Amino acid sequence: MTTQDTIIVAGVRWRSVQALWLRHAVALRRIWKVATTWYLIEPAIGLAAVGFGIGRLVEEVEGGMRYAVFVTPGIIIASAMIHAIFECSWGVFYRITGGFYETVLTAPVTVTELALGDVAWATTRAVLTTVSVGAVAVVFGWITSPWAVGMLLAAILVGMEIGAIGLIFAALSSNTHTLSLVFTVVATPLYFFSGSFFPIAVLPDILEPLAWVLPLTPGVHIAQGFARGQLALTHLWSALYMMGLTAVILPIAIRLLKRRLVT
Amino acid sequence: MIRGRDIVKHFGPTTAVDGVTFDVMKGETYGLLGPNGAGKTTLMRLLSALSPLTAGELVVAGLNVTRQGRAVRERLGVVTQQDGLDTDLTVRQNLEIYGYFSGLSRRESSQRAVEVLAFFGLSDRANDDIDHLSGGMKRRLAIARAFLMAPDVIILDEPTTGLDPQGRNLVWEKLAALKASGVTILMSTHYMEEAAALCDRIAIMHLGRILDEGTPEELIERHASTEVAQLRMVTEARAEVRAALAAAGYAWREAGATIHVPSRNGQRPQLPPMDGVRVTYRPGNLEDVFLAVAGRGLGEE
Repeated sequence: MTTQDTIIVAGVRWRSVQALWLRHAVALRRIWKVATTWYLIEPAIGLAAVGFGIGRLVEEVEGGMRYAVFVTPGIIIASAMIHAIFECSWGVFYRITGGFYETVLTAPVTVTELALGDVAWATTRAVLTTVSVGAVAVVFGWITSPWAVGMLLAAILVGMEIGAIGLIFAALSSNTHTLSLVFTVVATPLYFFSGSFFPIAVLPDILEPLAWVLPLTPGVHIAQGFARGQLALTHLWSALYMMGLTAVILPIAIRLLKRRLVT
Repeated sequence: MIRGRDIVKHFGPTTAVDGVTFDVMKGETYGLLGPNGAGKTTLMRLLSALSPLTAGELVVAGLNVTRQGRAVRERLGVVTQQDGLDTDLTVRQNLEIYGYFSGLSRRESSQRAVEVLAFFGLSDRANDDIDHLSGGMKRRLAIARAFLMAPDVIILDEPTTGLDPQGRNLVWEKLAALKASGVTILMSTHYMEEAAALCDRIAIMHLGRILDEGTPEELIERHASTEVAQLRMVTEARAEVRAALAAAGYAWREAGATIHVPSRNGQRPQLPPMDGVRVTYRPGNLEDVFLAVAGRGLGEE
């Protein structure tokens, strides 16, 4: 068979990454009706419940902001996180145990390329849910600044970083019991303690710095900055912090995946 | 087409492949015959560059597996034991995505998928979910995927294990067609019938080693007697039969409810008449070879 010219950069064959992304896109299109509930309906329910419900009880946050407006970027980023972590932990786990990855690796594909493709897809999922829930928030009137489009940048950073964390769990879990730790140990604490639902400043003094080093906190911070149209240097530091974490975690995840798949 | 020299593979303290040397010629169908744990699957994983060698040298289509893993995989089609189909995609999409992974354009990949589905008799299932296929169809699809890129070598790990007789026959039919197309095939099996029907040459593997190698006929001539008596009997008669065989000085082996007695010095076994025992004679086969060879291997331990 004649194949197209292959682009290999730093040992990474671009086609492999593209092909895994395409595979995920084709699989998503087959189940788009069900997928709508994950990407749109479920996070929109959460947004409505918190915004309309708790928003009624809480007078205002951070000097005059309506609670619903405060909480919107956090809920969007939390949803992005859930998508990224689910894809790269449970999704990858089942593709490993089902033998699909072993098959793909018999093509001219490497583990590194699979990891990059999965992180790329996790990032795509984070972006998709950010767009759909963001649209709902616009309808509710909780996002008004055109700067809010910049939340997509936060979603991309979250998708890559949290996706890399998810891969570590997929690589290390031999069964679904240990795999479920990804929710109890990572997703749930991040969901509640990353400044999505309340400003980190209201935490007790001991917890406050802890909350700031959590990997999702800078993502929420960036999203809030864009949603309000108020950007500062702290948002740049946050982005660099997330990129740094990703640059450390992803190679570790790839190493662990290799140990599992190439024995 | 494949050249293996002194291949060794350790998993921690376990030795899965223990110094294997073999050659597979272009267009040949080469069988690895052995029980579970013989090292067949490990050897095939080494060949597909999915697993690094501990020692030795392995060359596929002129490419070194250790140094040119990606290039080797471009020339190989591999069917793993667990099919490895993508259950989130349809039958056709499984092939299309694999083709895209392998470097075809999306259009070429679709065209090729249509051709290969037709060849493997799966055209009318093209848009089905994987979960709706029978075991035999899944296996055929896995073989179709391995064949998609028209590889130089196809590697099949136990292609018919777990299939019903009908499914097995259909897979055999397709493998025979592949063989006729001139592709080099390396397959593992623990079905003697399969090895005899499909393989040009067979390596008998046991405990990580190749104990002997040859065409099925050569192996039978070397290790199996020309004629074997098969004794079927009611369970109660078994002890009596064993005693009679021992008294007459025959070696025998038992498989399920049947006792097999090989000929001695080229003479058909002469057995005293026994009540409730039905005796039939059959030619020696690969099963007899394997027991003779692997039995000897075990004895050397």
